[in-house]
Amino acid sequence: MDFATIMGQVFASLTPQLILVIGAGVFIGLVVGALPGLTTTMGIALLTGITFKFGGNLAVALLLGLYVGGVSGGCLSAILLGIPGTPASAATSLDGFPLASQGKGAQAIYLARTASVIGTFIGIFALALFTPILTKLSLQFTSVEFFVLGLFGVLISGTMSGQDIPVKGWMAGIFGLCVGMIGTDELTAYNRFTFGSPELLGGVPFIPIMIGFFGIPQVVDALSSDQETIVAKLDHSRLKLRELTTRLGNVVRSGLIGVGIGIIPGVGEDVAAWTAYGVAKKSSKRPEEFGKGSYDGIIASETANNACIGGALVPLLSLGIPGSPPAAVLLGALLIHGVRPGPMLQFESPAFMAQNIAWLLVATLFMWVFSIFIAKPMQKILQVKNAILMPIVAVLCAVGAFTLDLRFLDIILVFVAGIVGLAFSKGKYPPAPLVLGIILGPFVDTNFRRGMLANDGNPMVFLTRPISLVLVLATVALILAQLGVFRGLRSLFAKKAAATP
Amino acid sequence: MERTERLRRRRSLDFFMGFAFAALGVFVALEGVKALGDEYLKTVPTVTNPGVTTLVIGSLLALSGLSIGVIGLLGSGKPFAVAAEAIPEVMRTKGFRKGLVVIAEIAVYFFVLWNNAPFVVSTPIFLVGMMLTFKAGSWWKILIIAAVTTALTYYIFAMLAVVPLPSEFIWERLARAGK
Repeated sequence: MDFATIMGQVFASLTPQLILVIGAGVFIGLVVGALPGLTTTMGIALLTGITFKFGGNLAVALLLGLYVGGVSGGCLSAILLGIPGTPASAATSLDGFPLASQGKGAQAIYLARTASVIGTFIGIFALALFTPILTKLSLQFTSVEFFVLGLFGVLISGTMSGQDIPVKGWMAGIFGLCVGMIGTDELTAYNRFTFGSPELLGGVPFIPIMIGFFGIPQVVDALSSDQETIVAKLDHSRLKLRELTTRLGNVVRSGLIGVGIGIIPGVGEDVAAWTAYGVAKKSSKRPEEFGKGSYDGIIASETANNACIGGALVPLLSLGIPGSPPAAVLLGALLIHGVRPGPMLQFESPAFMAQNIAWLLVATLFMWVFSIFIAKPMQKILQVKNAILMPIVAVLCAVGAFTLDLRFLDIILVFVAGIVGLAFSKGKYPPAPLVLGIILGPFVDTNFRRGMLANDGNPMVFLTRPISLVLVLATVALILAQLGVFRGLRSLFAKKAAATP
Repeated sequence: MERTERLRRRRSLDFFMGFAFAALGVFVALEGVKALGDEYLKTVPTVTNPGVTTLVIGSLLALSGLSIGVIGLLGSGKPFAVAAEAIPEVMRTKGFRKGLVVIAEIAVYFFVLWNNAPFVVSTPIFLVGMMLTFKAGSWWKILIIAAVTTALTYYIFAMLAVVPLPSEFIWERLARAGK
């Protein structure tokens, strides 16, 4: 089938009904992403059941719209309440909530949304042009690279979110890895830290921990302070286009990081956001502003997590391997609707890839338009009295956690995580690396042992494979930079140069 | 409070939290050692034994906890004396007492009300109680907010997302279990 025929099919598929369905999907996704506990993955899973009645195209378009909206919606609660709606927006909350507390919630939302749109476009661009190359690259990743990448994600998140001494961020990440090990081991079925409880055999779910860790300290802090509202006065000034145009380098770099991480099967939007955030902080001329309301921080995490969507669709559509958890559920939905992603897709349905790209473009535009309308009204949440808003947040924390598995244990986990979160916040330990550690714990653990087994227990394999070596070097450089080794060396050389006549 | 005094107090907290995490790390590492010698895993090659990563990650946790503990010890000078001085002072503050009330009310909602009453009963009770404690406004306003929030949350989660939120009192559940 030639290009003109394919494009003809794509435009023919864009009926008013389909465009409306995509819009509805984006809107549902924004709501799902914004509510703590309802994840994009869960949203796609829930909506798949409803789409049984639809035709294949309408169903896939609705789910793609939800995917785009869900990843973006997470930033709304991250910015306005400091509680990430999804793990992907945890990095956004670091700078989004301080900006909202300064009365700049609407500006932060506009910027995050625009960055998301650009990120999605970068992802779509990658999906359209580089699928064969990216597919080859994604196949280079084995357990060895997965392990190093997972560890890199946890350490970078610890490094970048540390507020006091760097080792606190790393320790939070390592503690998260320990919590992630709870449950039955995937490789040997050995039970670790379950203390005889059958409910812990499946491991500790990260959503209740995330909700408790971010949500409960927020409720306690807001109600125990003398401040009546989160923000006394809203800043109604318009966001200048310059704020984005002067940061184009950050946008493009974060987008590429998002695509790169998206194509790697199993590693999702959260790692992409953290990695981009970390790189942006390291290359910024004003790194001290990160964590206090930096536009660069929001741009980096939001561009990367949305660019990850296009990246994650590359291995999904070309190999049938999902690049992220929501993409995994999307794969199931596609199969239900008779679409078989994989190498044969281009022969069985040649227009499908192009159609997906067109639908993603429409979804992205919807997301941007919605954000323009909702940013200012949503900002008013910040002026609701804490005594009214915070009890509602506490209820959402409980409902959000319970929704996952309908277990009372998850409510207990929210409370325990909340108390630990309070201790972490008093001791200036960053919460984000702990959550990422819990998410990536089983991934890091299993891939380390798989990698070792496949290479006869030789640990040198982590240094002899090129991608792994690059990641190991980046991790070591990151740790050394955080410890001030490079700064020390620079001043040492400067002193020596000055002493030389 | 002076900046140096604040830092001294934080370092004192670092001392206690650091050593607590170090102890936890030792416990995790010991579990790793236990797994390495476990009969159940006898046939599993050492490199795939889950004890390997448990031992490594536990040791890393112990090491980082120990580093924080030492930084805390050096930074605060006398961590126990600093804590003995700071704890009563913090406990006397209004913010601390308010925080305790918030935690207690959340605990009642999570542990007592959630599992023992229908969502449409437990949630308005919690919301009204919390908003009255923190003087959110007049009683009729509080009642309306509690009712609307409960109805909206129930509609989104229970009806749209089809999540079966708690719907019976404990005695109804016990009676059902008895049958």
